Amino acid sequence: MLVKIKVNGELRSADVPPETTLLKMLRESLDLTGTKLGCDVGDCGTCTVIVDGVSVNSCLMLAGRANGSEITTIEGLADSNTLHPLQEKFEEHGALQCGFCGPGMLMSAKDLLDKNPDPSIHEVRDALSGNLCRCTGYTKIIEAVIDAGRVMRKEISA
Amino acid sequence: MKALDYIVPKSAAAAVELLSDYGETACLLAGGTDLVVDLKHGAGRVETLVDVSQLQECRGIEETDEGLRIGSMVTYGEIMENSICLTKTPEIVAASHTVGAVQTRNLGTIGGNLVTCVPSADSAPALMVLDAEVTIAGTEGNRRIPIEDFFVGPRKTSMQPHELLIDIFIPKKNLGKPSSFYKFGLRKGQALALVNAAAALELINGEITSPRIALGAVAPTPLRAIKAEELLEGQKPNKELITKAAEIAVAECKPIDDFRASLKYRQQLIRTLTQRVITRSLEVANER
Amino acid sequence: MATRNKDIQTDTDQVIKTEKAKSPSSQPLSVPTDNPVVYPLDLPQGEARLRTPAVGQRASRPDGRLHGLGQTQYIDDITFPHMLHAKILHSDHAHARIVSIDTSEAEKMPGVLATLTGAEVPENSFGPTFQDQPILAYPIVRHRGDGVAAVAAVTEQLAMEALEKIKVEYEPLTPVFDPLEAIEDDSPKIHGESNIYTSKIIKKGDVEKALKDSPHVFHRQYTTQMVEHVPLEPQATIASWDGNGRVTIWSSLGRITLGREDISRTLAIPQSRIRLIGTIVGGNFGGKNEIRNEPIVALLSKKSRRPVKCVFTRDEEFTSSTIRHPFIMDYTTGVNDEGLILARKIRLVLDGGAYCSWTGTTIGKGSILAPGPYNIENVFVEAYAVYTNKTTTGAMRGFGAPQVCFAYESQMDEIANKLGIDPLEIRLKNGFSENSLSPTSQTLQSVALKESLNQASDRFGWKEWKA
Repeated sequence: MLVKIKVNGELRSADVPPETTLLKMLRESLDLTGTKLGCDVGDCGTCTVIVDGVSVNSCLMLAGRANGSEITTIEGLADSNTLHPLQEKFEEHGALQCGFCGPGMLMSAKDLLDKNPDPSIHEVRDALSGNLCRCTGYTKIIEAVIDAGRVMRKEISA
Repeated sequence: MKALDYIVPKSAAAAVELLSDYGETACLLAGGTDLVVDLKHGAGRVETLVDVSQLQECRGIEETDEGLRIGSMVTYGEIMENSICLTKTPEIVAASHTVGAVQTRNLGTIGGNLVTCVPSADSAPALMVLDAEVTIAGTEGNRRIPIEDFFVGPRKTSMQPHELLIDIFIPKKNLGKPSSFYKFGLRKGQALALVNAAAALELINGEITSPRIALGAVAPTPLRAIKAEELLEGQKPNKELITKAAEIAVAECKPIDDFRASLKYRQQLIRTLTQRVITRSLEVANER
Repeated sequence: MATRNKDIQTDTDQVIKTEKAKSPSSQPLSVPTDNPVVYPLDLPQGEARLRTPAVGQRASRPDGRLHGLGQTQYIDDITFPHMLHAKILHSDHAHARIVSIDTSEAEKMPGVLATLTGAEVPENSFGPTFQDQPILAYPIVRHRGDGVAAVAAVTEQLAMEALEKIKVEYEPLTPVFDPLEAIEDDSPKIHGESNIYTSKIIKKGDVEKALKDSPHVFHRQYTTQMVEHVPLEPQATIASWDGNGRVTIWSSLGRITLGREDISRTLAIPQSRIRLIGTIVGGNFGGKNEIRNEPIVALLSKKSRRPVKCVFTRDEEFTSSTIRHPFIMDYTTGVNDEGLILARKIRLVLDGGAYCSWTGTTIGKGSILAPGPYNIENVFVEAYAVYTNKTTTGAMRGFGAPQVCFAYESQMDEIANKLGIDPLEIRLKNGFSENSLSPTSQTLQSVALKESLNQASDRFGWKEWKA
């Protein structure tokens, strides 16, 4: 089955068996290994990508369903030589340790800040509730997201 | 996952025909948040997936003179952003918010929740207290039934294998009815309900009118606590009345006893949550 | 932006919104009362910090940039040309003898390039303490997570389908799941003559006499449960041989020197032939401290003459990787009327799972820490690790400390409650200070127990809460 998608602004396509998930297609057919496989059943969030403006578990979405969609993955977060404020603040705060939850966490955070530029801490927690982290205890991740929001609102500099 | 075929029918009628032709070897794919997980653990006889998630007949949220129509393939995320739902059916929004997490809510559909038909389905109590009806498409055409008749048993609906759930309908008189929904799970996110409860009622001349109480995860299907409702009908609200209604609700339920919670604890949850949703509905009614 | 159900808003929002003006690191993040925790913490500065340019300065993690870009390469992100995927078949029984394994049907499948069973492993045993764990179980399987066969195929799906074609004939043996049952002489034996595979005794003073003389004696049994590490990255391995008979293994293993020893031993090749690359790990916490798939993947790679990758599924992480030891702890404590502990007698039974793994360390640490950070003149600890036909219990952060902590702190609260003593006071009364002796007579230094308790209780308003 030929699946055509626009990933991070680029038109890509791959011929995959119909039962292939979007996650497998991104990682194996398109060499975009930033999105991770942690549980494959939609619980851990490491497979989170943004499809047509909403964050989804790519391990639960079949590639065929994504045909014709616009997708943003972690590889598309930075803009050529400029890091996204989320990436800046995650690095500054030391928000990630082993880093495996990072891509999914960042995509969920991006989805949040794109829709809710000034979230409360409670709203950040709610938005990240589908992304598990076993290393950090979440505190610095949440701090970094709040900070990134302030950069995006131009309240502070990057 | 083992090799499967994937078909996207162009209409509901085409979908029903496909399901009829393929029989047991085909199954409907909506958001996939339950089905894809199951398929990864073994597809059984399924060989073909019929993706109905984008069917026009099953999408959209519209208010008409008769009431509110929510397409079966509307996602929880879409319900949570919809201004009509936010103002006129806030408890369906509340129930949607308790499902899974953001990512699951952007894929999962309200119709899928009903068709999977587990006792703890979160949308069910919120829909039941608004006297919702569901439209089902079959080979003979469409039929509409009250939502209580839709649930038959755990993972068993009254639909035939080849039928398709088209939409959910809330009668106009219940839009904006004072209501409340509460779910209790072992976590605040990504958790199954141990008990979920909803209530809706009107307060006319200080008397409770048209009370509805629905509970999930307390019996093989989500249920209405009819006897508790009968107790409340026509009464002036007071603490003893609510306490008594909750007690009657406990007796109407048949919760299980398992490693997640004991029977006694579940009964206590039913008692507390029923009181809470009735009390909150009264608060909303008084705010009007 | 439309508001969500107001039932989910909490007071947190109100406090956070008013504190917005402050710089990020002083934003309170814990649930605020009128005494929110503010970062950075106000701590006394040691002299050393004021003297050097490095100590006390903020450093940024070297891996932060790549993590944020999604460019960190974990093992599953690495592929090689012609690479195969391996999957492992797990046992149908908790305790059984394998009568026969027939992989011929699997081998016939197009795209399946190699299979492996335990009988083919040159030295089928490994382990950090005792070498009682097989690479692939043969002939006895001791828990459901035991692998009995493996295949390498061109796709993961094909490998999984090939597993279904492997025919294994089992002779079920009686399993034992309860460590208290397994400790008895008449229980089914899992390895050798006894299920107790390691034990510890710590003896100090005369505990029986002291208990007899104690005005109050408290006894209770505490139990803790199995815990799985759930590292977000499942265990993963890639192996590839070169023409000179050297194997390169990429592994999420945490201890690569130990790992190389074990791989050398199980494959019966010298260490000089093994190049083990420990990559960035997506979480370990103890579960990746010993080899698991590496010899399997190496042997499949050798047989198929292709690089082979094996990644655990999340299910396999639960059944076939190691977990934390459940402890069954019997605490008998004698105290006087003022709450001073006079004697403590402890029996620990560790659910040791099917194989020993890191139990040696766990039982040692658990035993020494079992009496708690309290000055006790008379101590007796006996600890036993017992085999059961359940998931292998191994290293997990704490190595026995969390389990015993639950027991001794729960009992302190019970004692305080019964005697009407403030739970903080009773701990200050009994707690270690500088130069206190551990239960094994080590002189302890840099002991900040009482200062920590006092500072912490001040910060969260213990006195106010109690009043």
